[in-house]
Amino acid sequence: MLEARELTKAFGGKPALRDVSFKLEKGEIYGLLGHNGAGKSTSLGIILGMVAPDGGEVFIDGVSVQKNRGKALRKVGAIFEAPAFYDYMSGWENLKILMGYSSGFDAKAAREVVERVGLTKRITSKVRTYSHGMRQRLALAQALLPEPELLLLDEPTDGLDPEGIKWFRDFILQLREERGMTVLFNSHLLAEVELMCDRVAILREGKRVFEGSVNSFRDGIPCYQVTLEPWEKGAEIVRSLGGEIIAPNRISLPAAIDPAQIIERLVQSGVKVRELARIRRSLEDLYMEILDGKGSPN
Amino acid sequence: MIFFQQLRGELRKLFARPRTWMGYGAFLVMEAVILAVYKLERSQQHMRGLVERNGLEFGTYYSSLTITFTIMLLSMFLLGSIYFALVAGDIVAKENEDGNLRMVFARPITRLRLLAVKYTAVCLYTFSFVFFVGVSGYAMAVAAVGWEGGLFVMEPKMKVFAAYPDWWEGAGRLVLAAGGIGISMITLSSIAFMFSCFKIKPAAATIITLTILFVDMILQGFPFFKPYESWFVTWRMSAWVFFMEQHISWPKIIESYAFLLGLNASLFTVGWLAFQTRDFKT
Repeated sequence: MLEARELTKAFGGKPALRDVSFKLEKGEIYGLLGHNGAGKSTSLGIILGMVAPDGGEVFIDGVSVQKNRGKALRKVGAIFEAPAFYDYMSGWENLKILMGYSSGFDAKAAREVVERVGLTKRITSKVRTYSHGMRQRLALAQALLPEPELLLLDEPTDGLDPEGIKWFRDFILQLREERGMTVLFNSHLLAEVELMCDRVAILREGKRVFEGSVNSFRDGIPCYQVTLEPWEKGAEIVRSLGGEIIAPNRISLPAAIDPAQIIERLVQSGVKVRELARIRRSLEDLYMEILDGKGSPN
Repeated sequence: MIFFQQLRGELRKLFARPRTWMGYGAFLVMEAVILAVYKLERSQQHMRGLVERNGLEFGTYYSSLTITFTIMLLSMFLLGSIYFALVAGDIVAKENEDGNLRMVFARPITRLRLLAVKYTAVCLYTFSFVFFVGVSGYAMAVAAVGWEGGLFVMEPKMKVFAAYPDWWEGAGRLVLAAGGIGISMITLSSIAFMFSCFKIKPAAATIITLTILFVDMILQGFPFFKPYESWFVTWRMSAWVFFMEQHISWPKIIESYAFLLGLNASLFTVGWLAFQTRDFKT
């Protein structure tokens, strides 16, 4: 559905993206992660043809955005963090104007989408009177008009309350379920990405340093919550046996190592083992490992 | 068809802004002030002297048509230039500053099409606004001095002097002049529009436009530049006054408006090229 090939971009000589490639299959939700300035927004800008890449190309359904932007974006919807509408106009008028830039305004389709995002009662109010949550709903409505096949979400849940975040997540998952919509989700809310995405890519300083499915890192290398006394000595023994320290009181062990062996060695060395429990490795663990430079680029 | 739908959307945006209506209000106030000045005894004496020195009857030319002409001349020069530069300077730059453009760029519209829609909206707005000033100015003048009378025109800078005692002829010349002013003002809007396409603050686009035009006007007044006056934009923009001549000099008018048309096309092209090569980060 979407393919980014070797995207490269520098702003004022400073590289923002370096040979970044990724591919989204139809119906997939793909997360793009990274710290501020990692290149997430630049990637999105290139996908939408707002930023011209120094190298590389983006294809949507086989059509190059750089060569034929109009055709490539025909079935694309996008939502940005803090979406900017014409505040002095109503939500309905905003939809009319924005739809006009695509294939033209379809009142019936607009009414259906507005009802679906729960804005029917306020759609004729001026946007300046909307809360942040309502603006995001309006942003979602405009992104769904006319029916897109690919949805690009740039930090869409930033600033939403927990209820709003859950509503948004459920809505997107439902859309995928119903329409087989493909979604590129750009965020630094790791828990959200983990709950929504099938696969993720992590960008660091403009380079893609990880790509994999959410399940693969969840169920991959076993992780443990440990309480050792003294910690430093215990950590050294864990390392000597091929384990890794993910975070304070968190270790990962190669699948081949039996945790009982570790406990035995620790106890023999005079380290008190207060706790050792298997935990599921979260996206946050992986993300922190990669940002600390422990993760292996792929 | 879709172009007209987009154009309608652009005009809707323009007219939904409170500032647009404040502009209309400001012009009405200005027209009222000019009218009030016209009603002063001293102003009337000055005009009487001017008209009678040329062997004409003051009663015929102290009229709604003459007042409308003065209103259009002064309000366009004093307020119109600022107002049109403000509107056209905002049309792209303000949307970029407010973040609206990124929403638009998520749509399959080309940058050229987007600019063409916006530029057409600016041109229509500018042109129609001049007629608003003319019609509202005339309505006020009729309320103050009645509808009858002829049209007296004296524009020393462009060396135009004319008197039309017949109302119909005077009104016809005034409508032609309004059309001419409308086209001239589009050039001002085009300059501001071009700067609006650059990576620039909206206020900067307005200020640069006004600076260019004022410098152009000042230089045009220097005796040294007298032989080259037809190369100055503001001189070409004043070509509408030629519609007021007893015998309309069409070649002079066509030459000036062809110059302005070419300039407008060049300004649009430069603006588009600058806009086309810009990166818009989300």
